[in-house]
Amino acid sequence: MTILAFTLILLAGAYCAGLLGSLTGLGGGVVVIPLLTLAFGVDFHYAVGAALVASISTSSGSGSAYVKEGITNVRLGMFLEIATTIGAVCGAAVAILLNNNTIAIIYGFVLILTAVMQQRRKSDHDGVVGSECARRLKLFGTWPQKDGTLKSYQLKHVGGGFGVMYIAGILSGILGIGSGVLKVIAMDGIMKVPFKVSTTTSNFMMGVTACASAVVYIQRGSIEPGIACPVMIGVLFGALTGARLLKRLKVTLLRQIFCVAILLVAINMIYQGFTGQF
Amino acid sequence: MNTTPQPKHDIQQLIGNTLRWGVTVACLIAFIGGVIYLAKHGGEPMKDYTTFPIAEEAANFSAYTTLTGIIDGVLNFTAVGWIQLGVIALILTPILRVLLSLLDFLQERDWLYAAITAVVLAVIILNSVAGIK
Repeated sequence: MTILAFTLILLAGAYCAGLLGSLTGLGGGVVVIPLLTLAFGVDFHYAVGAALVASISTSSGSGSAYVKEGITNVRLGMFLEIATTIGAVCGAAVAILLNNNTIAIIYGFVLILTAVMQQRRKSDHDGVVGSECARRLKLFGTWPQKDGTLKSYQLKHVGGGFGVMYIAGILSGILGIGSGVLKVIAMDGIMKVPFKVSTTTSNFMMGVTACASAVVYIQRGSIEPGIACPVMIGVLFGALTGARLLKRLKVTLLRQIFCVAILLVAINMIYQGFTGQF
Repeated sequence: MNTTPQPKHDIQQLIGNTLRWGVTVACLIAFIGGVIYLAKHGGEPMKDYTTFPIAEEAANFSAYTTLTGIIDGVLNFTAVGWIQLGVIALILTPILRVLLSLLDFLQERDWLYAAITAVVLAVIILNSVAGIK
């Protein structure tokens, strides 16, 4: 294959990855890794570098829209960023010691968890009584409703959420994906933050967390220009198209199909990882 | 907590614009690099990405792993230099956002969150200069 052909195919693939990532809310990085490793046979260390680039691209691209809507809880995001950035640094430091098969297996399990968590009910967690710790940290907030009013919410279990965020950071440092699933588990599942707030705050955090490990990966040589360029441009345009489509399309069916697809990819990754095929 | 809505709105607007402009500029720079790359090397066979050369060989790719190497490349209009400059611009975008939030918290005299934001910023900056590989 010539460089031209590889670049154009990767550009088209990255566009689809960005589109799917934004329609399903999982971010571009999740699709970029199997695209590079399974379809092109690229080493995982390069694929993870590319996924980081894709994650930052999606996070910043869609973040500019979320900020205006005022849903993101910046205090909550920033507080939890301490855990995710430190985790990301640890993850990036560990990643160099792991071989392709180990990374594939970890990635497979994160995908399965993602598919399972996609099935949960989206809850606004009405009437949660916040903890004293959360009150002291000024983590309570409000978010705009459809009718234009602001609804206030409280949250709890700050310590537990912080701990899970540290793990999310480690996984993000190893896999390059935003590990949005763990972020949402921490905020939605443990801290009882309303669904809409936890997804947008998770998106905000994804970019900052990815940066913390990207600065390591670029110095390591994992962010390869020939791969990073088409991925960055493709994913961004895909994510922008997705954001536009999202306003008009009903994506429930697409999300179900995608869920099955990532389960298949996950099983493939884990099987090939355990049999040492990477 | 009870700040007047106007300045709050301004900083949100500024953050939104920073994110939008950051990714746009990053992509434009990388696009220039991509054009140079394809024009010069488009017809060559694809590089071997199937194995990742660990540590020892890192010195060989200083053109895209060190700041001086990248700046050198940008000045000489190499594809690698421009693409990596785009990547750096992309990485700087969320960092800039954190910096803007820090300024916002300082302006609100929210010292607790100014400190928390400073810690996050410090982790990222220390990490990029500490040379973990």
